[in-house]
Amino acid sequence: MTKSMNQDNHFIESRRSFLKGTAYSVAGVTLAAGVFETIVETPAEAEEKTFTATPKSLSFYPPLEQWDSFKELDGDDWKRGGVGRKGVASENNPDGIKVNEFMLVPTVCSNCEAQCGLTAWVEIGEYKRTKNPRDLFVKKYMGNPLHAGSRGRNCAKGYATQTQMYDPDRIPFPLKRAPGSKRGEGKWVRTTWDEAMATIGKKMHDTLKRGDEVSKKMIMYHVGRPNENGFGHRVPHSMGLDGYDSHTNICSAGAREGTIQWVNDDRNSPDWANAKLIFLQSSHAADAGHYFQQSAGYIADARKKGAKLVVMDPRMSNSAGMADLWIPVWPGTEAALYLHLANRILNEKDIHGKDLVNHAFFKNWVNWEQLMKDKEQLALMVSKGYMKQVPQDESYESFIEMLKEIYSPYTKEFVVKECKMEGYGHKLDELFDMFIDAGDRISTFLWRAGTIGHRGGWMNTRSGFFPLALRGAMAGNIGGVGMHHWHVISVNGKGDAATVAGERPPRVDVWNEIAWPPEYPLSTYEMSHIMPHLLLDDEWRAKWKAKGLKHIPEKLAVWIPRMYNPVWINPDGFRWIEALKREDKIELSFNLSPTWSETNWFCDYVLPVGLAGERHDQSSEPTKPARWLSFKNPALRVALEKLGWKPKDPARATLEAHMTAGLGEIWEEVEFWANIMVHYVDPDGSLGVRKFWASKEDPSRAVTIPEWYQAAFDKLPNLRKTAKLKYPNSKYPNYEMMRDMGTWLEEDHVYRPQERPLRKEGNKYIAHGHEYDESEVEKDEYGTLLVHDHVFGGKKPIGVEVDGKIVQGFHTLSGKLEFYSKWFAEWKWPEFAIPIYPRNAKERKEMVQLVTQVHHDFIDPSKNEFALNTVFRLPYNIHTRSVNSKHLMEISQNHNPVWISTADAKRLGIKRGDAIKVTIEDTVSGLESGYFIAMAVPTEATMPGVLACSHHAGRWKLKNAVEIPGFEHKLGVLGLGAPLYDMTMDGKIGTLKPKQGLNEGMQARKDTWQFKEYNKDLDNIWWDGLSGAWQNAVAPSHPDPIAGNHAWHQKVRIEKAGPDDVIGDIYVNYENNFKVYQAWRDKLTRPLAKGDKLRRPVHMKRPAVPLTLKAYSVDITG
Amino acid sequence: METLKQDLENRIALYALISRLMIKEVDEDFLKTIESDEAIYALFPNYQNWSKRNDKSMKELIEAYYNVDFANLFLMHLVPYESFYVRDDQMIDSGKGNPVIELYDALDFRVELEKARVVSGDHIGVELEFMYMLCKAQLKALEAGDKEGICELFQIQKGFMRDHLLEWAPMFLINAKKESRTPLYHEGSELTLEFLLSDFEYINAQLDSFCADVA
Repeated sequence: MTKSMNQDNHFIESRRSFLKGTAYSVAGVTLAAGVFETIVETPAEAEEKTFTATPKSLSFYPPLEQWDSFKELDGDDWKRGGVGRKGVASENNPDGIKVNEFMLVPTVCSNCEAQCGLTAWVEIGEYKRTKNPRDLFVKKYMGNPLHAGSRGRNCAKGYATQTQMYDPDRIPFPLKRAPGSKRGEGKWVRTTWDEAMATIGKKMHDTLKRGDEVSKKMIMYHVGRPNENGFGHRVPHSMGLDGYDSHTNICSAGAREGTIQWVNDDRNSPDWANAKLIFLQSSHAADAGHYFQQSAGYIADARKKGAKLVVMDPRMSNSAGMADLWIPVWPGTEAALYLHLANRILNEKDIHGKDLVNHAFFKNWVNWEQLMKDKEQLALMVSKGYMKQVPQDESYESFIEMLKEIYSPYTKEFVVKECKMEGYGHKLDELFDMFIDAGDRISTFLWRAGTIGHRGGWMNTRSGFFPLALRGAMAGNIGGVGMHHWHVISVNGKGDAATVAGERPPRVDVWNEIAWPPEYPLSTYEMSHIMPHLLLDDEWRAKWKAKGLKHIPEKLAVWIPRMYNPVWINPDGFRWIEALKREDKIELSFNLSPTWSETNWFCDYVLPVGLAGERHDQSSEPTKPARWLSFKNPALRVALEKLGWKPKDPARATLEAHMTAGLGEIWEEVEFWANIMVHYVDPDGSLGVRKFWASKEDPSRAVTIPEWYQAAFDKLPNLRKTAKLKYPNSKYPNYEMMRDMGTWLEEDHVYRPQERPLRKEGNKYIAHGHEYDESEVEKDEYGTLLVHDHVFGGKKPIGVEVDGKIVQGFHTLSGKLEFYSKWFAEWKWPEFAIPIYPRNAKERKEMVQLVTQVHHDFIDPSKNEFALNTVFRLPYNIHTRSVNSKHLMEISQNHNPVWISTADAKRLGIKRGDAIKVTIEDTVSGLESGYFIAMAVPTEATMPGVLACSHHAGRWKLKNAVEIPGFEHKLGVLGLGAPLYDMTMDGKIGTLKPKQGLNEGMQARKDTWQFKEYNKDLDNIWWDGLSGAWQNAVAPSHPDPIAGNHAWHQKVRIEKAGPDDVIGDIYVNYENNFKVYQAWRDKLTRPLAKGDKLRRPVHMKRPAVPLTLKAYSVDITG
Repeated sequence: METLKQDLENRIALYALISRLMIKEVDEDFLKTIESDEAIYALFPNYQNWSKRNDKSMKELIEAYYNVDFANLFLMHLVPYESFYVRDDQMIDSGKGNPVIELYDALDFRVELEKARVVSGDHIGVELEFMYMLCKAQLKALEAGDKEGICELFQIQKGFMRDHLLEWAPMFLINAKKESRTPLYHEGSELTLEFLLSDFEYINAQLDSFCADVA
């Protein structure tokens, strides 16, 4: 309360006179809540205390040996007085407290990427009594205490898995677009998995059978957040296709580009728990982003030990609110701040007069020698004005002197101006002090936010890791920054030994330009966010055809989104719809999806696959310096099998179990893909695909889950050894152990693996599973050990000599951290080959690829222009995946307004709750994209000039429910989270207007036909879902000219909404949006050019599908 | 005796008021009752003068402010249970071994947890209502001329306050006062704290004087 209130304490002064001289006229009984039963005669049917109402500690969990049968009192025990008063329910005591008998089946949360352990508590007592499998019920999802990363803990999304499982609008069986209807008409018929597999399989078979180059690019597997490690990659790979599209370029590809340049790794891996400084750009890690539930726990551990937390973010997130230091930085300018830190580290001394640079690390582990010898590059740096002259010699000392000069312009004054920190520049000093005090124990996870929001966002990781490297925090040491591939285990796609082929499919020798267009040779991931644009861009195709790329597909035969909703989550959604409606461009499409989605509405098939506790996946993530993995199980299947049930077809056991237990015709990808490949895509094996999916044990059928995972987990020596000991009589010990534990810690405390000696036996070096005779290994002038690359020709590194020792080194071409990225310079970007950021307006024009599209240069406050910060997560929502959870939907309502600073709001006369029109304008083409109407909330928690509106709300549907001919019930559509809208689109302009809140739609069918008992509270729905807008559709695609990611943030103009505007309205000029994508592509990139012979540097791994040199090779003519 | 009766009636009214305030969300009847009693109303000076009461209806205030504050203070951000404050492990003890529940049991009181919507009987609102029940019993004893009964109940009240309420409620109430965002709960928390302290003194004083001759 306010201070003024505290000062008004006249009644306190008289507190001693509550009774004296006062008579309260109110009778107590009219006020009292009356919660006591007084002097009641309650039969105390006290029994032996078999059940503990209050466990002795919060960390209580049933021991593993009791997981197959653990008895626990029902949840309403407490409110009914406990067994002490009611006794245990039985025939003689029907009013007693129910005792549940649970089987705890471990699985893994699938609501975000963190892969926290879960246990599904399957109630088996009733089933044991009745023998009716439909009495099996997952009563709750809890944590898995065995999981090394999540340690038994979960966030709201994990526990909400149950609500998703029993979603009243769950898709109960495969659906097919009604014959004769158009995509998007919303007419559906019921089909079977077998029919779907037969139709789809034939289409895939016929496409593959053509066998020409283009046909190998015409089936596209488009995977949303995979939450598994490598199985999805194997799907196109096993068919010899370059046909994998990830969602990564709308997610995190910017961050990866900078990391690849430093370390040739996908992302960094922090050791939060042992850090002294938690260095966060945005709220990611601590309260919303990647791995946050696990990270937040480790960050809390560190802070308990005294670590400081700093958050650099234009928005005051939950993390920023509890940080030791919050630094609001103009979005997209973070690199300037990082280089300022580098400047001070280089140019200042500690209190003892010693250098702040950790020379012992930096000199040994950074590739400075390579730059000092590259006179051409040094001359270029002089010509660009980075420094006055090329250093006199090639010594380390001269290198450091050169750095001092290069980074000296990044002064405090410069940063205050560039990052718009006027008035709080002193925070930079506080940050620097914290940074230095932490020594080399600084942990970070540079991801999302600044790295994906902006053109040049990748320079955030490139420059962000620089001060960390200078201080030695990039050594992968305790409390510092490690690397992703040191800690992550990926074996989900490695069950090859269980198949007839017995080995991995061969490399693929085609290159798919729809995913990897020639403008983006260094794109970290597939250019999936412009897939529809490229498909529909005949001009682009013709241009490249003339330059020698003769085999760019004009269409896709089969497009397969997998738990993905690109129509809604990608920018320019109307373009996606436009492409999906074109049956000449996408001939067949099906979504493997547990829920309805905006994308499904425009597909030919919707095939319902399982949620977290209804599938198998292996997953692993870099959440701590350890190699843990987790394993999803379908809880009902495992429970049924352990209680004696057997499937008719062991290769389809998950589907059969779900049907048997009444969950619906819910399947999983592993079994689905194995079956469709063996029986439909390549039934006779003539395409060479079947052998990769048929069982070695019984070649007539698909591989089974126990077979597959026995083989996949066999790749892990410690797991294999333990499983054999624990399950000596099992045919599939690896599988069974993981089925029972759901998680495994293969190796703990993985620090500084780059310093491990390169393995040598006799005269052979052993690296990455290959042996190299000493005579084949050559050491270059920098100490890098090179061998012949049998796949791509030339040389490749296997280790490096550091300080006289032959060690494994980092994963880069030099074996060291690459301050200077030579290959990046060779691939047309020499001026950006070191961490750099434009220092003035002139350089911002010259180095436009490093300047955010929402830089304050482009924003004129007098015209009500703002930067719109769209990239932050709501911690209880996950993009498009949580709309089927009543609990998550309830707590997230009205939580996604447009944040506007109070000063800006006051200037514009905007009050809390006002509807505002947010118009998006592109700063490259100058074109307007249209607008969305949203609710404004003035707040001090966003910096002036910067609006914030997470792009995770504003779901929609076009029908409340669909009729299925011959099926007695209507199928509800996204009833818990998406209101009803009207849509118009004419090829140029698209609109969406809210028609009805979801509560009305839901109430109309609150007596749901499925999971009725679980959903008896649907009449409690109070939210209408109308507080968000589908801003993603208004946003044009902004492909970053180098990293390729969509740069999410937008320049916007705001005004108060008009009388006819309502929150949720959108108006999109998607004809303009097409031109915006073209402008970014053609004005900013440096595409492959005449004389180029490679599509991409061969060392820069293409994710997902391994390729041959032939695929990488190109001959650009014309 | 008349003074004692008036004191008891006042204590009953105050315990009823504060227990009700802390056990469930306010409704219009409750607020009207507060506002209709001059003496009680005087305990909420800032509430009386709160500008939002001029701008918004009582219903709007309940939905947008009081219920939000209640949820913050009693459900989400503070833990209004004795066991949380007194146990080393900060667990809410809803079991039979909870000494507060044992005390209720010993005196034949049972908490209807479902009605109270609390997970354990050592909730602040329930403990305050327990004091209300004890005061009511005292009034009955007074009406029956049972001085021994009155004094025994003073002893029980003293013991309950000493061993339970005053062991933790001040900490909770200071927190609640600090975290509150409306005058109603701010002053309600402060009022409760001050009243408990003064009532403890009052009970002791009565035991020393009125009950001095009772063994």
